[in-house]
Amino acid sequence: MLHHLVFTVLFLLGLYTVIYKNNLIKMVIGLNIMEIAVFFWVIAVSDTGKSVPIYHLNKFAASFNDPVPQALTLTGIIIGASTTALLLTFIIELNKFADTIDSNKLEGLNE
Amino acid sequence: MISISILLLIIIPLVVAFLIPLLDLYNKLLRRYLVIIGGVIEISISIYIIISYFSDLKAGKFFLTYYLGGWGPPFGINLVMDSVSLIFSSLISFALFFIIIYSIGFIGHHEGKYYVLFFLILGAMQGAILTGDMFNLYVFIELLTVTSAPLVAFKRNKHATEAAIKYMFYGVIGGLFFFVGVILLYFNIGSLNMAQLAQHFAEIENNMQLTIISIFLIGLLIKIGIFPFHFWLPKAHSACPSSLSALLSGVLLKVYLYIFIRLFWIVIGFEFLLEFNIASFLVYLALVSSLFGHVFALQASDIKRMLAFSSIGHIGMILAVFLLNTETGFYGGLLHIISHLLMKTGLFLSTGYLLQYTKSNHIDDFAGVGHQNKGIFVGFILLTLSMIGMPPFIGFFSKWYIIMAFLKIQHHFGAIVVVLGSLSAVFYYLRFIAKGYEKIKLSASDLKNEIYNRPILSVFYREKLVTTVIYIFVGMIILTGFSFRLFELPLQEGIKELINPQNYINLILGG
Repeated sequence: MLHHLVFTVLFLLGLYTVIYKNNLIKMVIGLNIMEIAVFFWVIAVSDTGKSVPIYHLNKFAASFNDPVPQALTLTGIIIGASTTALLLTFIIELNKFADTIDSNKLEGLNE
Repeated sequence: MISISILLLIIIPLVVAFLIPLLDLYNKLLRRYLVIIGGVIEISISIYIIISYFSDLKAGKFFLTYYLGGWGPPFGINLVMDSVSLIFSSLISFALFFIIIYSIGFIGHHEGKYYVLFFLILGAMQGAILTGDMFNLYVFIELLTVTSAPLVAFKRNKHATEAAIKYMFYGVIGGLFFFVGVILLYFNIGSLNMAQLAQHFAEIENNMQLTIISIFLIGLLIKIGIFPFHFWLPKAHSACPSSLSALLSGVLLKVYLYIFIRLFWIVIGFEFLLEFNIASFLVYLALVSSLFGHVFALQASDIKRMLAFSSIGHIGMILAVFLLNTETGFYGGLLHIISHLLMKTGLFLSTGYLLQYTKSNHIDDFAGVGHQNKGIFVGFILLTLSMIGMPPFIGFFSKWYIIMAFLKIQHHFGAIVVVLGSLSAVFYYLRFIAKGYEKIKLSASDLKNEIYNRPILSVFYREKLVTTVIYIFVGMIILTGFSFRLFELPLQEGIKELINPQNYINLILGG
C-alpha cells in the first residue's frame, strides 16, 4: 500500500511544481519528479517478493518476478532523459533571446 | 500474409535520416538527391503494396504482417497493415514526398539537420501506424515528440523557442499518461500485443477499465489537441517553418487520430466507452472544441495561427463524427481525414510561399500578395474553397457525409456545429483573400530589400517547383472530389474492421 501512497504524493508534487512554479527549470524538475514517480511505482508494483528472473537455481517460472516492467521502465527512463535534455536546451536557448526564464515574464508561454 | 515491405516503410526513412550527416561529410550538394531518392523509395513502396495486393483488397481480405526477429505474436513485436493503416500509411508517404520536394531550397540554414529530423518523423509516423505492439507504439509517440520539437524551434527566435517549450511540456505530460496506461494494461492482462489486449480487456474489473480508459483519454486528447488541452497547438503550428506546419497540422494530427481510433475501437473496444457513458460526453467535448477552434480562427490576425485554429476545428469535428460509432460516421470521418490532409497540407505550403512577399504573418502585411504571385494565390483560393466546402472539391463531399451522419441519428447539435464551422470559415478565409487582392504600391527595390534581408527564406528560383507541388494538391482535391469513390474499397473494408474488431484479433492470433 505504501508505494501507492508514495506514488500519489510524488506525482501530485510534480504536477504542482509544473503548474504553480514560474521558473522554467523548476518546471522541468517537476516534470522529472512526475516521471520518477511513475517509474518508481512500476518497479515497486512489479516486485512481488519473488526471486530474480532467469536465475538458474530457480526451476519454476512462477517463482520469478516479472522482468518485463523493468525493461519497459528502462526505456521510459531513456526517453525521459532525452526529453529533459531537449527541454533544458530550449530553456538555455530562450534565455539567450529573452534574458529570463520566468514564465510570467514570457508572454508567449501564456497566450 | 507476411510481407517485408511494411518493415521497409519504417526502415527506409531511418536509414536515409542517418545517411544524411554521413553524406554531408563528403559532399553537401548530394544531400538534395538523397532526400528525393528517399521520398521516391518510400512512395514507391506504398504504390507497390497497393498494386501487388489489390486483388486481396478487392476480395476484402487485405492483411499484411511482419514478425520482427521472427518472433510471432504474442511474444515478439509484430507489424500489421490492414485497410485502415493502408489508407493512412500511403497518404503519409504521398504528402511527405511533396513536402520534401517543397522543402528543397526553402530551408536556408541547417538544412542537413532539418532533413535528419524530417525523415525521423516520417519513420516514426509510419511506425506508429504500422506497429501491433502497445509499448512500441508508446516509443514511436515519444519519438514523434522528440523529433518534432526541435523543428518547432527551428527558426531560432524567441517566439519559436517558447512554442517549442510549450509543445514539449504538453507532449511529455501526454506521453507520460500514455505510458501509465500501457503499464496498467500490462499489469492487468500480462501482454503488450494489441490483439491479445483486445481479446482480454473485457476480463478486467470495471473500476480498472474505467481508470485505463480515462488515462489513455487524457494522454491522447492532449496529443490531438482537443479543447481543454489545445493550448500548445496554435502556437507550435504557427511558429515553425511553413513546410513543417504542413507536416504537423496536415499530417501529424491525423496520426494521433489514427492512434485514437486504433486504441478505442480495436484494442479497448467501443462498447466500454458506451458502458461508462463517456462516448456521448466526448462527442460534445469534441464538438465544443470544434466550435472553439472556428471562433478563435475568426479572431486570429496571424494567418498561420488562423490555419492552426481551423485545424482544431476540423479535428474536433472528425473526432465527434467517429465517436457516433455509426457506419456513415466512420465513412464521413475517414473521408474527411483524407480531404483535410490534402487541403491543410496544400494550404500551409501555399501560405509558406506567399509569406515570402510579406514582412510578417499579420493580416495587414498580407495586402497585395495576390498581385505578386497570381498562380499560387489562385491555388490558395481553390484550397480555401475546398476547406469551406464548395461542391466540386472533396471538402464538400466529406462534410456532406459528416452532416448526414449527424442527422441520421438525430444529433442536431453536431450538424449545426459543422454548418456554423463552415460559415465562419467563409468569413475567416475571405478576409485573407480580400486582403490579398488589395492594391498597394511597392517598388521593386523595396521588395528586394525586404526579401533578401530575411535569413531563412531564399526561394524565388523555386517558383515553378512550388507552383507544381501546390497544383498537385489542388488537382488531388478536384480529382478526389469528382471521384471520391476511388477510396471506396479501403474505406469500406476499414469500416468493416472498426465495426467488427474480432476479425483483427483472429487474423493476428490465428484464432
